[in-house]
Amino acid sequence: MALNLDSSNVATRENRIGSITGYIGSLSDLAEKSQCGTLKGCSRCFSQSSTCLSSCALGQLSAIRDIAIIHHGPAGCSVASAGSYYLDKVMAKKRGVTNNTVYVGTDMNENDTIFGSAEALRDIIIEVNRRYSPKAIFVTSSCATGIIGEDIDSVVDDVKADIDVPIVAVHCEGFKSRIWATGFDISDHAVLSSIVKPPKEKRNTINFKNFYESARPEIIEMFKEFDLEPIFLYCNSTVEELSHISESLATTCICGTLGNYLGNGLEEKYGVPYIRTINPLGVAGFETWLREIGRVTGRSEKVENYIAKQREIYIPQIDAIKEKLKGLRAVLGMGPGYTFEVSRVLNELGVEVVWALAWHYDKKYENGDVPPSMKYLLENDVDFEASVADQQNYEVMNILKKYQPDLYLSRHPGSTVWAIKNGTPAVYVADEYMIFGYKHTLEFAQSILDSINNRSFEKNLARRVKLPYTDWWYQQNVDKFLEEAGK
Amino acid sequence: MGEIRQIAIYGKGGIGKSTTTQNLTAGLCEHGKKVMVVGCDPKADSTRLLLGGLAQKTVLDTIRDEGEDIELDRIMREGYGGTKCVESGGPEPGVGCAGRGIITSINMLENLGAYTEDLDYVFYDVLGDVVCGGFAMPIREGKAKEIYIVASGEMMALYAANNIAKGIKRYARTGGVRLGGIICNSRNVDRELDLLRAFAKELGTQLLYFVPRDNIVQRAEINKKTVIEYKPDSAQAQEYRNLAEAVINNENFAIPTPMTQERLEEILFEFGLMEDDYQI
Repeated sequence: MALNLDSSNVATRENRIGSITGYIGSLSDLAEKSQCGTLKGCSRCFSQSSTCLSSCALGQLSAIRDIAIIHHGPAGCSVASAGSYYLDKVMAKKRGVTNNTVYVGTDMNENDTIFGSAEALRDIIIEVNRRYSPKAIFVTSSCATGIIGEDIDSVVDDVKADIDVPIVAVHCEGFKSRIWATGFDISDHAVLSSIVKPPKEKRNTINFKNFYESARPEIIEMFKEFDLEPIFLYCNSTVEELSHISESLATTCICGTLGNYLGNGLEEKYGVPYIRTINPLGVAGFETWLREIGRVTGRSEKVENYIAKQREIYIPQIDAIKEKLKGLRAVLGMGPGYTFEVSRVLNELGVEVVWALAWHYDKKYENGDVPPSMKYLLENDVDFEASVADQQNYEVMNILKKYQPDLYLSRHPGSTVWAIKNGTPAVYVADEYMIFGYKHTLEFAQSILDSINNRSFEKNLARRVKLPYTDWWYQQNVDKFLEEAGK
Repeated sequence: MGEIRQIAIYGKGGIGKSTTTQNLTAGLCEHGKKVMVVGCDPKADSTRLLLGGLAQKTVLDTIRDEGEDIELDRIMREGYGGTKCVESGGPEPGVGCAGRGIITSINMLENLGAYTEDLDYVFYDVLGDVVCGGFAMPIREGKAKEIYIVASGEMMALYAANNIAKGIKRYARTGGVRLGGIICNSRNVDRELDLLRAFAKELGTQLLYFVPRDNIVQRAEINKKTVIEYKPDSAQAQEYRNLAEAVINNENFAIPTPMTQERLEEILFEFGLMEDDYQI
């Protein structure tokens, strides 16, 4: 990856790593085309709405404690602020800390759009700094400011002399990319370019990029055994903590889509190794991941001891439950950082994946490799039908109707509800640690079992719900609205 | 009283759109026509000759300073021969969005009831090329139905005119906008008349009028006047009167047939590229 921290503008995922939002085929075909460079994304002549990268970027940043986000745009563009406030406060309360982050919209109006409003933006920055004394300020664009070419960079450069905390321009116009995960990269770029300082000393810390740090206590406990201390990013992070992440022994993440820009960036810029294994979900994932951390940080022996101890406790239990899951068929729809990882875990548990949807797909990661989860599946002779669809629910419903799986799994709110209305038992993999390590893999297996053991709710609901799709649609191929699809 | 003829004037930057429009307006006034000129250029210099200087406060400046609750007479001034003059205005160079400014100010003019029944003509004098949707605002549904492109025999002026015709063609399909012809503002280029005629024909339109070059236009401009006001008896004043008459009598309104780059260059080659020793 060519990281350019001098520019505040991050290229989109489509542009940088060849990411796509439209594909139908198989896992092996997807991987083969990625490797030989012939993979081309398809567009759709019909598309349901998707998610905006702006809320993705600003949701990440606003979770950092005691900072200010100044969202330069019309009032409606800051609509995500309410959700972010709620989530950030809840997450802080859960952790037992306070988060005084403010999220300010600049309420750009018609006149500001015509004449530009750089002067007003400058005043707002100064006032926000005076009123809230934030530890860092992120000044972000919107679609309106993006279109008129408002020179946010110059305003930010100009006020730096008057503001003694890190301040940075964040370019997150929603129209830039169809892939909301570009927002993760934009937030990482902002943190890397404004807050992270060059290392002064090495610490026994490991950067852990995650969403909501629900498994924080147990991961701290686990890493203590290896004399390592995790720094969870960005939810509830402090600016002080972030300024030192270049001093960590390694960077890892719970989701490759979420973590790869920061991980690669820290490696490239400050030599902090980025753990590039499959993710710590399921037994194989957890062990592979932990061994790599052990190797990189020089703690292999301690890691092996830990694995041996844990295996004794959990493997017999996991093996026992596998018997009950054998032969189940599943469809899943998730972000690409999870789709192929969860597919792998399901395979490990004896559940057959019949179709996996990824909300987008990265042809390669920042280092040029295909995503490790895919590589692993193919090396282990696992293949299934796969598609790339940015939460195109009508495609999910078509697949569910055709394949009638025992189970649907998704990580995105609402998606599982549709499956249930279709009469398909569903598991909402909401928490990013739901399948983490041995313990949660066991719990995950139990959740699947619970979901399929009593299907009366799904059956009853499906009987009473009329879905909006016509018989015609169910008879079509899933790729009906995909243009230039490889049929 | 017939329908108001709403006319948009387009053309390459610096070709003389504003000068031609205002002199044409003065000619129409002499025919007893009631005319409104709407300047759609952030520089706000489309009505200078009719008003005797840049005295105009623009629509956008007024909205910015006084809010949207304004009276029409705050933004409209009366100029030569009773013409109504409005400048849309816009941001300083390099900031904001001038295209959005045109959309806002034309909407404002409509809301304020600027298009009164006594008007015979409304002219929109639009900046340079149609660089974005905002600059096409005057030719969208319900506004200018007639367009004239000001051009000369210079290559870049014809490139721009062909490009503008592409925009007109787009809006001709949905709205009723039509190209009324090319007005040549002569630069005394070799075989200019032949070239313009051939170009207009290829574009599916006509050369409406050929305005010869005369330095009196520059002198009138320095004096902040149209030629008709500055030197009513001059030959050039008569040219503008003739242009006005050509506009009044024009019945040739076409959907343009813009040409490919290759075809345009062929025409230029045929008429524009002469032997070095060619003499008129």
